[in-house]
Amino acid sequence: MRLRTRRIRMALAAPLALATAAAVASCSASGAGSGSSGGVLHIGTTYPIDSMNPFVAQSDYSYAVYEYVYPQLVQYNARLGIAPDFARSWSVSPDGKSWTFHTVPHARWSDGTPLTAADVAWTINEVMKYKNGPAGQWAGLLEHMTGATAPNPTTVVIRYSTPVANVLAQMQSMSVLPRQVWAPYFTGKGSGLKTFPNQPPANGKPMVSGGPFELVRYKANQYALFKRNPNWWGPKPKIEGFGLQFFSNADAMVQALKDGQVDFVGEYTPPTAVAALKKAGFAVTTTPSISMKTFIINTNPHKTTHRELLDPRVREAIEYATDRSQIIKTAWLGLAAPGSTIIAPADGSWHDSGIKALPFDLAKANALLNAAGYKMGPNGMRIAGGHPMSYNVIFPPDERGTGDRTFQIMQSDLAKIGISISQQNMDDSATFNAISHDSYRTFDMAMWDWVPPVDPDFMLSVVTCAQLGNNSDSGYCNSAYDRMYAKQSTLISTSARRALIGQMQRYLYAAKPYIILDYPDIIEAHSPKWTGFVVAPVMGSVNSLSTQTLLQVHQS
Amino acid sequence: MRGGDYVIRRVGFALLTIFVAITINFFLFRVLPGTVVTDLARVPHATPQLRHALTVQFGLDKPKWEQYLIYLRELARGNMGISFATQQPVSQLLLNDLKNTIPMVTIGTLGAIVVGIATGILSAWRRGSVSDHLSTNLAIAFYAFPTQFLGLMLLILLGGLLPTSGMENPYAGVFGTQSTVARLQDIGLHLILPALTLLLTLYGEFTLIMRSSMLETLGEDYVLTARAKGLTDRRVIARHAVRNALLPIATLVALSIGWIVGGAILVEYIFSWPGIGQALWQAINQRDYPMLQGGFLILAISVVVVNLLADLAYFKLDPRISG
Repeated sequence: MRLRTRRIRMALAAPLALATAAAVASCSASGAGSGSSGGVLHIGTTYPIDSMNPFVAQSDYSYAVYEYVYPQLVQYNARLGIAPDFARSWSVSPDGKSWTFHTVPHARWSDGTPLTAADVAWTINEVMKYKNGPAGQWAGLLEHMTGATAPNPTTVVIRYSTPVANVLAQMQSMSVLPRQVWAPYFTGKGSGLKTFPNQPPANGKPMVSGGPFELVRYKANQYALFKRNPNWWGPKPKIEGFGLQFFSNADAMVQALKDGQVDFVGEYTPPTAVAALKKAGFAVTTTPSISMKTFIINTNPHKTTHRELLDPRVREAIEYATDRSQIIKTAWLGLAAPGSTIIAPADGSWHDSGIKALPFDLAKANALLNAAGYKMGPNGMRIAGGHPMSYNVIFPPDERGTGDRTFQIMQSDLAKIGISISQQNMDDSATFNAISHDSYRTFDMAMWDWVPPVDPDFMLSVVTCAQLGNNSDSGYCNSAYDRMYAKQSTLISTSARRALIGQMQRYLYAAKPYIILDYPDIIEAHSPKWTGFVVAPVMGSVNSLSTQTLLQVHQS
Repeated sequence: MRGGDYVIRRVGFALLTIFVAITINFFLFRVLPGTVVTDLARVPHATPQLRHALTVQFGLDKPKWEQYLIYLRELARGNMGISFATQQPVSQLLLNDLKNTIPMVTIGTLGAIVVGIATGILSAWRRGSVSDHLSTNLAIAFYAFPTQFLGLMLLILLGGLLPTSGMENPYAGVFGTQSTVARLQDIGLHLILPALTLLLTLYGEFTLIMRSSMLETLGEDYVLTARAKGLTDRRVIARHAVRNALLPIATLVALSIGWIVGGAILVEYIFSWPGIGQALWQAINQRDYPMLQGGFLILAISVVVVNLLADLAYFKLDPRISG
């Protein structure tokens, strides 16, 4: 299941210290330097903008665009720490319920209208009014929020009903909208909020922007072109502009890079293209990501069929029979890291490095199943509760390719311990329907993935009881875990939260609703004529986490 | 049969077919498991309230028959609805997609018809010759090639010489100036590979049918009579054989033209062509019912109308029907 990065993008150890603009500069990526100014960076991607309306969009690149055309209070730096953006500094009240942000003075929108803290408060308060309706996509960002005020043009105070651990991550994901454009739509039932296309007007003028670039032309499913925002209040980008060109498939995108039609290909360059691109002289960057591939085992305690899957020894045996090294070598050509817990190592200190995945050991897997009393049947398949241990694995389109090869490896190894699995292909909507059908009582196994935000809150939430029928793809529901989840979301102390999140990861690893197979690398490539890319563990260089890449990128 | 009766019956049948298609389009996609709400409600801390709000917004809380009646009523008013996924009017989205699709698919399809008919005639004329074997085998080979394979080969082989993706160079007019002639030239160059792929995958069928039809015609007595009268081969073929051999191919041409608005999903996918084929594929995955209903309605109407025209042409061309 892909969760686009926009939905809660961050929050690594959100430090409560005052930050300064210098922090951004100090975290600049390697490669950024004093290259020649100007030029237009041609970017290729296989994930098109699906809508320019932030209350409708689902696509990664829609949210990357918002990062560059709308102000956010904070952004991530290259080390996934929180850095200033429109807010130059911030503080939190002793009770943890009130956050004060001090914004950039004398800023303006691209149309010349003043951009102040009042715009931030207005956006928050208006979205709150419609969060159970047309602005529902933003509801997660406003959890426990009671309102915002702007006592002066450079101060905004946001209040919460309870302490919230990941406020800074939420603010990184929330765009400040231009009131002069959006006010007519925040009226009545707010029905216009979702139908407003939010594109450059027909008169040829660019879309109103408060970020470093402004959208000058957009053609759905084809391209989006951006120029520098002349009124941008931050450091001037080195490039004159950039374009996002959308490709239907990765082969065509890679070919376009080779042909010089694009300069840079981002997210999801196929692993099979890496060797050829390097040979052709392109700069190929691979970096660990926080996304993960999962083998899901239905752990719903109310499961009605194949209840042997609720036996921890069966799930442990399946993990022992999972050859992660072979999967990474064969399916990923080495461009992935072995999986263990639901918070990836690339997520920094949130990851509990003490959790070690079980090694590939078929003898131990067989011994576990023998000890549990699942006897081998006449056709080499074990018997559980009078039926063969044979299961369907629900398989969505996201898993095609590398997932197919992974499945084949697992199928072959599981057969050696007397468990048969077969692939059940279906599209995304049908996949979720098949998993959640009959309140998660009937499905057995699935393969899927998660591309979570940087802050661990979301990833930890998907296995809570509250997410059954929503984001849960495992049927897992445990009240002790839910209590831990609720507590971590209120811990303002980073170290206390980190400790509890470590405990939650260990708890889940033991329960095994997922066998985390691997963490695929981010792979991207660019022409050697360009430099200054800042790679992030989500989406790569051009992402919805920060504006660093397109402020720094320049011709070599 | 009298001409008036024939036309009335064919038009009546066409209207009935369209109505049946509208009804099937409505129910068919609702049989698929999952709804658009499944996708749109999966946001952080999603609540049952959000799912309910989306269900109500899209009218999916109403009984199917009520949704169907609303759909028919709005359709009668010319309203195709709002896309669930993009929240934009379906008619506008489909119009944009059709504007992209029609030029490319029309060039590819008409090219295939012309090339197929021409090579079919030549093969039949030179039956048993090297050129006949070559032409027939090439036609069979291209007919058998999977579109995606042929498209990818062309993309890899001709990439660098011709644009391999999209409909135009997006940068030329924004970060610089571009004359109208240069823009048309650019669009033309972008058209070549997708249209060529379509042409190559379609033309073989026309070649084989035209060749077969021609061979049948060339064996007729009136052709023998024409030869006996001392007419040249060229005159026999052009005046007597081809005109009669074209009759069976009329249906195939009509069907091909009718499908033009359906796009060519594989070609669009390979060359990143933002056409209606890709839009409908995406709509299926998203369970975007209004887009699916609108897209398949247009497709049904175009196929039915072109077939109706073919029927009417048959009436005119074939005396066995009108007589």
